[in-house]
Amino acid sequence: MTGKIQVVRRTLQAASFFFLLYLILQAAFPLEVKIPVDLYLRLDPFIGMVTLLTQGEVIVRMLPAFAVLLLVIIFGNFFCGWFCPMGATIDFFDRILFREKKRTQPFNDQPIRRFRYGVFVFSLASGLMGLQVLYLLDPISLITRTLVIAFYPPGVYIYNHLLPEIQRFLPKNPFILPTPKLPVFKVNLLIFLFFSAILALGVVRKRFWCRYLCPLGTLFSLTSRLRIVRRAVSEDCIQCGKCSKECSIGAIPAEAPQQYRQQDCISCFQCRECPPKAVSFGFALPRWKTAEGVSLSRRYVVGSLAFGFLSALAIKTNPLQTESGLKNSRLIRPPGALPEKKFVSACTGCGECLKVCPNNALQSTFLEAGLAGLYTPRLVPRIGYCEEFCNFCGRVCPTAALQVLSIDEKRLIQMGVAHIDKTRCLAYDQDKICLVCNEQCSYHAIVGDEKKRPIVKEEKCTGCGICENKCPVDGESAIIVHTSGVQKKIKPEAETKA
Amino acid sequence: MALPKMFFLGVHSRPSMAYAAGDADLVIAQQGTPTQLLQAAIAPLGGMGRFVKKGQRVVIKANIAWARTPDQACTNNPELLSSLIKMCYQAGAKRVAIWDHTCDNYQFCFSRSGLKKVTQEAGADIFSGHGRNVYKQVEVPKGKKLKTVEIIQDVLDTDVFINFPIPKQHFATELTLGLKNFIGIVWDMEQLHKIDLHQCIADLSTIRRPDLVIVDAIRILTTNGPKGPGKTEDIGEVLASTDIVAVDAYAAAYFKHPKTGKPFKPAEIRFVKNAYDLGLGEINLSKVRMKKVKAA
Repeated sequence: MTGKIQVVRRTLQAASFFFLLYLILQAAFPLEVKIPVDLYLRLDPFIGMVTLLTQGEVIVRMLPAFAVLLLVIIFGNFFCGWFCPMGATIDFFDRILFREKKRTQPFNDQPIRRFRYGVFVFSLASGLMGLQVLYLLDPISLITRTLVIAFYPPGVYIYNHLLPEIQRFLPKNPFILPTPKLPVFKVNLLIFLFFSAILALGVVRKRFWCRYLCPLGTLFSLTSRLRIVRRAVSEDCIQCGKCSKECSIGAIPAEAPQQYRQQDCISCFQCRECPPKAVSFGFALPRWKTAEGVSLSRRYVVGSLAFGFLSALAIKTNPLQTESGLKNSRLIRPPGALPEKKFVSACTGCGECLKVCPNNALQSTFLEAGLAGLYTPRLVPRIGYCEEFCNFCGRVCPTAALQVLSIDEKRLIQMGVAHIDKTRCLAYDQDKICLVCNEQCSYHAIVGDEKKRPIVKEEKCTGCGICENKCPVDGESAIIVHTSGVQKKIKPEAETKA
Repeated sequence: MALPKMFFLGVHSRPSMAYAAGDADLVIAQQGTPTQLLQAAIAPLGGMGRFVKKGQRVVIKANIAWARTPDQACTNNPELLSSLIKMCYQAGAKRVAIWDHTCDNYQFCFSRSGLKKVTQEAGADIFSGHGRNVYKQVEVPKGKKLKTVEIIQDVLDTDVFINFPIPKQHFATELTLGLKNFIGIVWDMEQLHKIDLHQCIADLSTIRRPDLVIVDAIRILTTNGPKGPGKTEDIGEVLASTDIVAVDAYAAAYFKHPKTGKPFKPAEIRFVKNAYDLGLGEINLSKVRMKKVKAA
């Protein structure tokens, strides 16, 4: 029998997941929703904390996250069990895929329980070094990224194939609707596999990810020990051990079910389904004392810290990293991006900008920006160009790694400069009248000479890449945008008037 | 008017109605609001009822290629498009669709040009050719260089096809006029530049000749075309014709040749000349029955 509270909780979990999905789908033209589409990320205190460390300043957009943290500190962790869309997904798949019988035998998880604290300390240490590799494990960023990169393109693919079938049943409309362009992301398989692996871990234990890996959950565990909503067990307890078995986070010791680790409790209230009804939750005075806390030895903490520092150093001195150090001239960052080093340490790789980009121009990096820049956005003009009157990517960035720009400001940002390959250009190489690049250029940065061959005026070029995108030459374009790695401001052109 | 009869032999061609009655073959309407100009321009051709019969489907190929505002004259005049749609419905059209394969992102083109709003207010549908599923591959038997091309299927299937260009300066082809407007019904537009742009423009028009051409010359773009923004000139004219070469020949004279400084001669625009050579219409304006009317 499932109690009423569990029905409410599961409904809320589903609602939370679908609300996130709705917000992600709303991250598109015309971007006029009242609720910020990156709401969930802005409510994530782990991102808030790490950006505080890496940026050395409070990011105004991330302030709501600290309110969430405050609520958790006072009342306890209601986030993971009730609202976290990642937790909701894991709970769902745990229920439908893995029956309790199929799970491996219970084992003493005391040694591996401290693993996530190690991960957490590691991330703080590397965060202090200006490195954010562990944004990749943040559950909100992770699920947003997975939904955008791994599941949005297949969704569009299915829609595009169903659309003609659906339209067949709509005799009123004699016109065929054009299907949206299929978005493509190169790293989708990698992200899909990572996400699948997290779900598959459920075969070992319920909410394996949440128990042993999630850094956001660890932050809540560290801060909510003095919570005021507490569990109490009356003397009716018959030691049946049901609550200990049902607890999705494993916070109740099997040998002493009257106790629990209040810091780990995600307040799902499943233990209230107690045969003698001995378990209740209510407001109580905070207590520091807890059941068998994680034994974090000094050696372990210092070790994690040192490992974090050393890893950060190793990544910083990795030759891949110098590629993002302005040497990769094809690593074009979106308009309004912070200087490369700051950008890499602020971007959580959530993929909101990838989703909102109307031309699919923004792509997730793999190793182009070094290990630290994994899953950060870059402009790939041959896939899509930067739309002239669009400033969406900055408007959806939760950590302000991309600055909010007005349309006028954005049109003056030089991300790179186009260069013509005269050996491949139709006009130079084959004396054809082409000038697609000149006709497409939004900024009058490409002019034609007397033989109608294109010439780039560097001082006007913003590097939007529309020329590279539309160039009719097969394969690589004959006009290619290169970047110096630093975004400049170009001088505004006096508006030509009639 | 020297038009060869029935030169559409392809599967998708239909006999054009361009031979029916009317006082003129090319009407130039001057002075008036966009709506007045349009009405004045179509009346001497025999009225909209000559082209649009009751229950027919109409496709209008507008120019919405760029994310520019109406006053920049890079896209069609919204009021004129609105009146055109309304006139089609008054003539009994079942459904009117506006098509263009935009160059900039279609959502920005539609909203900034203001054309989506007026289209929907007038009760028509506006479509952009960004999805390949709306195209159909066709042979171009009469084409000299262009042998096969993917064309918006609606253009091939519709009962009435109206071409609705706006004349603009164009660096690659000197000008963009009615014939050039057809580039926007092709899937792989950039590919045409690789073959031979001028000849391809002419070849394209052999696939489906428009039943009616309305040229939006209320305000034209004279520099930095076709995307602009550039200098504009208020001409205040609307042209209506059944002969696409003749309107282009007339509209070419709005612009001055960059070298000589004199108005363009029709034969100086290569795609107009090529289209004439293909027998698509009359380039010599003295052979065209022209009529100038005052709208207001």
